[in-house]
Amino acid sequence: MSVVPLRPGVQAEPSSGHAQPVAMIEIDRVSQMFETSGRRGHLALSDISLSIEDGAFVSILGPSGCGKSTLLYIVGGFVMPTAGVARVKGRAIAGPGPDRGPVFQEFALFPWKNVLGNVMYGLRQQGVTRGEAEAQSRRLIEMVGLKGYETFYPKELSGGMKQRVAIARTLAYRPEVLLMDEPFGALDAHTRTRLQNDLLNIWERDRKTVLFVTHSVDEAVFLSDKVVVMTRSPGRIKEVVEIDLPRPRRRADLLLDPHYQKYVVDIEKLIDDVLDDELHP
Amino acid sequence: MTARAVSKDIVLGIIPIALVMALWQSLVTFGYAPVSLLPPPGSVFARLAHQLVTAGFLQDIAATLFRLFAGFGIAVSLGVTIGLAAAVSPGINAVVRPVVRVLAPLPKVALYPAMLLLLGFDHASKITLVAADALFPILLSTYYGASMVEQKLIWSAMAAGTPRSQVLFKVVLPAALPSILTGCRIGLVISCIVVFLAEMITSSDGLGHVLVAAARTFQTVDMFVPLITISLLGLILNGLLHGLRTYLLRGFPEV
Amino acid sequence: MSGSLPGRRLSPLLACLGLLCVWQVAALVLKTDSFPTALDAIRAIPSILGDREALLNILDSLRRMTVGLVLAALVSIPLGLMMGRSRAVASFFNPLLMVVYPVPKAALMPVIMLWLGVGDVSKTLVIFLGVSIPIVYHSFQGGKAVEEKMLWSGAAMGLSAPQRMVRIVLPAALPEILTGCRTGLVLALITMVTSEMIARQNGAGNILFNALDMAQYDTVFAMIIIIGALGIVFDAAFETLRGSLVRWSEPQFDMPLSFS
Repeated sequence: MSVVPLRPGVQAEPSSGHAQPVAMIEIDRVSQMFETSGRRGHLALSDISLSIEDGAFVSILGPSGCGKSTLLYIVGGFVMPTAGVARVKGRAIAGPGPDRGPVFQEFALFPWKNVLGNVMYGLRQQGVTRGEAEAQSRRLIEMVGLKGYETFYPKELSGGMKQRVAIARTLAYRPEVLLMDEPFGALDAHTRTRLQNDLLNIWERDRKTVLFVTHSVDEAVFLSDKVVVMTRSPGRIKEVVEIDLPRPRRRADLLLDPHYQKYVVDIEKLIDDVLDDELHP
Repeated sequence: MTARAVSKDIVLGIIPIALVMALWQSLVTFGYAPVSLLPPPGSVFARLAHQLVTAGFLQDIAATLFRLFAGFGIAVSLGVTIGLAAAVSPGINAVVRPVVRVLAPLPKVALYPAMLLLLGFDHASKITLVAADALFPILLSTYYGASMVEQKLIWSAMAAGTPRSQVLFKVVLPAALPSILTGCRIGLVISCIVVFLAEMITSSDGLGHVLVAAARTFQTVDMFVPLITISLLGLILNGLLHGLRTYLLRGFPEV
Repeated sequence: MSGSLPGRRLSPLLACLGLLCVWQVAALVLKTDSFPTALDAIRAIPSILGDREALLNILDSLRRMTVGLVLAALVSIPLGLMMGRSRAVASFFNPLLMVVYPVPKAALMPVIMLWLGVGDVSKTLVIFLGVSIPIVYHSFQGGKAVEEKMLWSGAAMGLSAPQRMVRIVLPAALPEILTGCRTGLVLALITMVTSEMIARQNGAGNILFNALDMAQYDTVFAMIIIIGALGIVFDAAFETLRGSLVRWSEPQFDMPLSFS
């Protein structure tokens, strides 16, 4: 079981996002214990340590129930770890904030606001004037491919469209970190591949730090610079795989690329090992 | 839910009731309320205990319960039957739906004088009122539950050889049971409320009558007794229904 | 299944007419003095509405009903929402509400009249108490059902806890809250009529029973039609209002679980 060591010397000043290997997110010996109806609690995460540089696209991959979403929620500040501490830019995470923007599998759009209203929400919250917020939001809505749908309500949109709105809404308030929790899990295969492509296109523009939870191996390999493979019960890091494929990535090219194929095969074997270890510990 | 969480719930829940009791008692002891208007809790509960072993009061409770169960029983039989019929037959649906839509928001108690004129001042009019009020929630939740039954359940049963005529009883009714029982619970509370009210408006016996009679003679203690009794009755009946529900819905997924 | 929109609007009207026809036929068949025909009852309506005192009585009743309803909403909605979001608050209030629930609030009339006299306050109070419970319950359900992830998204945008309550929980729970208010409206009408039947001072319920005592059967049934019509009209009006307020919501089960 190899674990990426913590980088020493955490920087206290905010970095301006240049290509420096600065630890944007540090997860320091984090554990998460959930109470259950039995006498023993459920150890969702056990002693996780991980460091993520600024501008990196990192996937967390593993079988369902391995605590990967919990890890994301801890970084997002929605859940407090029962042991250990998570830091962003050197400061311990105490709660949610606009520096870490979430995108959830269930979309979590505000149903009483239309597309424009949803996207504008974070901007207005930050005090941006209505006119400016609207202008920025319209640009974002066009960027995610929903031009013309500004006045539609969430109930009138398909799953893929809802997720595009969710992404635009989070990008609008310019978080430094994007936390994506199986965002394409509720969508059909075709919509999923389209959104994967679109996500990469959007990400290429300003290269935010992304923490992406998924249970799909080819999705993880396609999107990321690093794939963190996890075990479950308890959740530990089995291995961190560096994905050394050139960017920008095109699905059509990659599917035929033997390097890509080898990554997928190797990581699928890792997951097989994880599942086998569970059956025969 | 852990054992700790449940006991915490119970402790928290007792606090407001205990507080109300304490407030009640202190209002009397410190003289904020004259005893003639607000008797102390002690004397109310003592009187209640005394009444519960008095033949006259027990007869009143019996009268109330008789009307309650009769009305509720009629409401359940009619409600479930019509609800199921409307859910499976488009023809019946077309007739029932608009009628229910019109009758449901109507305050049935306004029809009570009509019932008194047509059915007399004794049991029949009260039972009819109880049935009329309890009918609609039961009918609606039966209809809702039956029409939401997954088509695939019915198809599976028919593929296994169930004839069309039996599908209603073997598939639709059991599948709609959670919804029906929820409606019955609402109907039961409504029955408690309505029987009490009907007895207050015009009656010669029953718990509602006890309250009105006590009010006429300014016996405040005797006014509280039937109120507490109906509240306890409601709780007990609700608890029994909940037990029945748990038993009947043994295999169902948690709703 | 009902088809086009005019068909749907028309069928309740047809149902009304149908019921009135059934009444008319039944009355003619039964031929009792105490059961006037539908037409007789309808003919008696203008004389009630034309009588100034009766009209004022009815308007007073409606005024008390509205005040009680509005006060109940102002108190119950926040309470219900807080119960929905906080387990501790819910556990605290739940048993108290369950004990109070089966007690018919109109039955508290004699007790309340003893304490607060026979004026508007006691009648409004009874309506307030009666209507609060369904509104609290529905607000509770609505608040409980708000998606956690929506609140998290709001928190990430920088909304504080009270802000999330007002700007996310409240709008998200609004469809359910309004269903509770609709039940409350029907219940308010009923509580109003019943409390007036019990505490015979003034108001629509009083007119009804006075007519009964004086064997003015036409008037009795005419009042029944008037009160019934009020109930149906209020319900339809509220449903239209509710529809326009929450146009954005997924369609909910459209027939109300209406309450006595």
